Amino acid sequence: MSALRTRVRPALAALLPLTLCFGLAACATPGADADTDDTTDWGSVGHDELVELAEEEGEVVVYAFTSRIAAVEESFEAEYPGIDVVASDISSSELITRLASEHAAGTSTADVAYVSDAPVVVTELLADGVLVPYLPARLADVLPEEYREPLVANRLSTKVLMYNEEAHPDGSPVSNLWQLTDPSWAGKVVLVDPNVRGDYLDLATELSLRADEMAAAYADQFGEELVLDDGVPDAGLQFLKDLYDNEAVLVDDTDTVNAAVGAVGQDDPPVGFTSYSDRRDNEDEGWALQVASGVAPSNGIVFPAYLGATENAANPAAARLLIDYMMGDDTETGGAGFDPFYVAGDYPTRSDVTPPADALPLEELGAWEIDAETSAEHRGDVADFLLTIQ
Amino acid sequence: MTLVARASAATRRPLTWLTVAVLAVLIVLVALPLLGLVRATLSDGAGDTWSEVLASPMSSALFWEPLGGSLVVGLGTGLLSTLLGAFLAWVVVMSDVPGRKAIAVFATIPFALPSFAIALAWESVFRNDHIGGNPGLLASLGLAVPDWLAWGPVPVVLTLAAHYYSLSFVVAAAALANVGGDLVAAAELTGASRLRVAVRIVIPAVAPAVVSGFLLAFAEGVSNFAVPALLGLPVRFQTLSTRLYGAISTGDEVRGYVLSILLVLVAAVILFAGNRITRNRSYSTITGKAARARTTRTGGWRLPLAAAAWAIVTVTAILPGIVLAVSTVLRRTNSLEGGFTLHYWTGASDPSISQGMRGILRDPIVMQALGGTVGLGVAVALGAVLIGALAAYVVRHLPGAPRAKGLIGLLSYVPFLIPGVALGAAFIAQFGAPVGPFGSLYGTFAILVLAGIAASLPFAFQTATTSFGQVSAELDEAAVLTGASSPRRFGRITVPLVSRGLANGGVLVFVTMVRDLSVVVLLVTPATPLLSMMTFRYASEGFTQQANAITLIIAVISVAATLLARRLGDRTDRSTS
Repeated sequence: MSALRTRVRPALAALLPLTLCFGLAACATPGADADTDDTTDWGSVGHDELVELAEEEGEVVVYAFTSRIAAVEESFEAEYPGIDVVASDISSSELITRLASEHAAGTSTADVAYVSDAPVVVTELLADGVLVPYLPARLADVLPEEYREPLVANRLSTKVLMYNEEAHPDGSPVSNLWQLTDPSWAGKVVLVDPNVRGDYLDLATELSLRADEMAAAYADQFGEELVLDDGVPDAGLQFLKDLYDNEAVLVDDTDTVNAAVGAVGQDDPPVGFTSYSDRRDNEDEGWALQVASGVAPSNGIVFPAYLGATENAANPAAARLLIDYMMGDDTETGGAGFDPFYVAGDYPTRSDVTPPADALPLEELGAWEIDAETSAEHRGDVADFLLTIQ
Repeated sequence: MTLVARASAATRRPLTWLTVAVLAVLIVLVALPLLGLVRATLSDGAGDTWSEVLASPMSSALFWEPLGGSLVVGLGTGLLSTLLGAFLAWVVVMSDVPGRKAIAVFATIPFALPSFAIALAWESVFRNDHIGGNPGLLASLGLAVPDWLAWGPVPVVLTLAAHYYSLSFVVAAAALANVGGDLVAAAELTGASRLRVAVRIVIPAVAPAVVSGFLLAFAEGVSNFAVPALLGLPVRFQTLSTRLYGAISTGDEVRGYVLSILLVLVAAVILFAGNRITRNRSYSTITGKAARARTTRTGGWRLPLAAAAWAIVTVTAILPGIVLAVSTVLRRTNSLEGGFTLHYWTGASDPSISQGMRGILRDPIVMQALGGTVGLGVAVALGAVLIGALAAYVVRHLPGAPRAKGLIGLLSYVPFLIPGVALGAAFIAQFGAPVGPFGSLYGTFAILVLAGIAASLPFAFQTATTSFGQVSAELDEAAVLTGASSPRRFGRITVPLVSRGLANGGVLVFVTMVRDLSVVVLLVTPATPLLSMMTFRYASEGFTQQANAITLIIAVISVAATLLARRLGDRTDRSTS
């Protein structure tokens, strides 16, 4: 996305508001219309002072990629009765477009964003300064380094290989990703098309970034060194090409994967990449989803959900207070602010919060943690490569 | 006459000023957002996206094959919809088939259902073991369903046509109703056979309506994302819409914009071809002598025709409607095994069911959203019909100026094809900053209405064009002799005569607005909850029953609006004839 920065003077803006600023090309001066000239060093503001400032503001507007924000709204307003939470939930890609457009137009916008699609956040929002990080001081000892930058993350979600535990009661039928390229798995691997959904593109990108591990896993599986096809840059992408050639089934939605892999009563169900946390719907939906652990070199990815304040926030103190709240407290389950996200199969980032009991601990899950910035640099090329092997 | 003299003569005509006003509105609502897309694809950071899309190792998978897919889907949907819609319109308006009135109601329902509902119904019957999971009805009976029937272009076209034939039906039925019985009777007096009457009199008289219905169904077909994604992706059948939404949702917006501009160009070619078919001929069927449409006696064909018509509406409206309704009372998503419950409608919060979500009728926001949705639908319908009618009037009556007319026609046709999220972003860019003394429209109800009008103009314009095309000039000329002013003639003669067509257009706009999400999603604020936002919210968290229940409410509102508009249309008919 280009940053065509043109300063639009008010008189000109009145006459030609339309010819200069278009689409997402950024125009106007970021911050020109901001209500506040925010030079506060928020890191040094104590909690009590923050609450006081936030209560003066009286309101906080949040865009979130999950409807669970409604539960946060309820409990936050109970905790801080003087502050009204105004929550919108829209999908991550729409949320990112909306924030970028509002920032460019210098119009009113959210105070807080709770957003997934980390690599896109890095390129579309952080590069242009739309979002700014806020690390509450109290988290200094309990939030590992990797979850502070570029924005704080309050939890991790997954896209990992899952199988049908009714059909495979003795554990995962797959112990090495390369087995999925074998004819015995032809047409039996389901995933959402990585050219359609960002989190699956992140999965494909991570396979490419972990090419060395993929090459080693190939040697383990087949007892010989991997030879790349012409025009295939690395072992991870070779795996994807072989997977596509092995009639992998691409679908449009994770729920489609869940139903295909998980539905009970199947003789020969496929395996598929989906969210570990969807296992909680097994009983409700008649699924038998189980995560494939112990897969070489890995069964998939874990990725962060970010919390950031907008640069032009009209309620900067309340914004920080809400971020602070959603990072949870030091009780075992993270308290009311984190409660809506305390779900088996998702992982709290705080080291002092105990992960939910009904899922494997993160270290035993064996999934790769993506690095948003590295992934952001690489994922365009991976998307392009995937278009050449359809 | 010199150019200057001609120009000054033109400025004295009110019609010229009306044209300028219509163009100005279309430029603000449609052309500028579109130009914004073009600019974004040409800016520095966009690099060489155009050559990547059109001429690179990935162009085949990114553009050329999806282009083929889109043409198959668009043309297939357009032709099949036209065929089904025109047939049903003829049955309802001109035949003596039993149950015509009920057929007329049912034939408008598919458009009020979400397109994925019919696709899901298809899956529940034809799904095979290609992707795993529970098989469809046929496969579970032991029948082998081939992949081409379960997935790919065939089911995509069939389900989209089952959804969009309503458009052709509505437009064609309104036009047929205006084909006076006197025309048909006169032809029959000359000894012409029924077939000959149909081919020589009736079909030509409604050709513009048929073309309009085709154009609308084509545009809806190529812009639909949900159905090709659901039924096409599993066999890697791609269309431009799946590719462009994929590009936008994986963060490569510029590439998505390039694809949507190319889609607009494809649509422009189809529009041009469609207009050529009906150019330079008169289709006026509304003359000074009003006559009821004449019923054709179908004799021995009466029952077979009735069976065919009833079969179409049963498969496309009644069964999907029932499937949708039943899906809201299934304890377990899309499965009969869990039994039935009203919990998702009226239940109190129960932690063991859908994560403690209460029934939708217990949610105060649903009622608020109902009001907001209907208000938005009505406001957009009124605005779009006003602009669409003025645009159609100008195109018909302005002498000369083919380029201006062509531009109006094009701008009124392409808004479907601008991805909703891009249109929303363009509106933020245009209206986000305060404009002169008016202040910023951003965050208000007004900007939702403006975006809605922009997005739904095609329905209003195409239906208005058809209606105006049927009004004979002789009526207007007679009124000129009485000394009636031009606005008076428009208000007293033209408007009442086209009111049925305009009401139909208004209903199509209303239905689109109440169920569409993509246009408004970037512009709504929590202060204006909308039902379509709530279906998204529920569906994205996997609460299928709640999402379907809201969808059912939307469908009921849509059908109610259709019936109401028909009643109003009948009333104006009686008062003018």
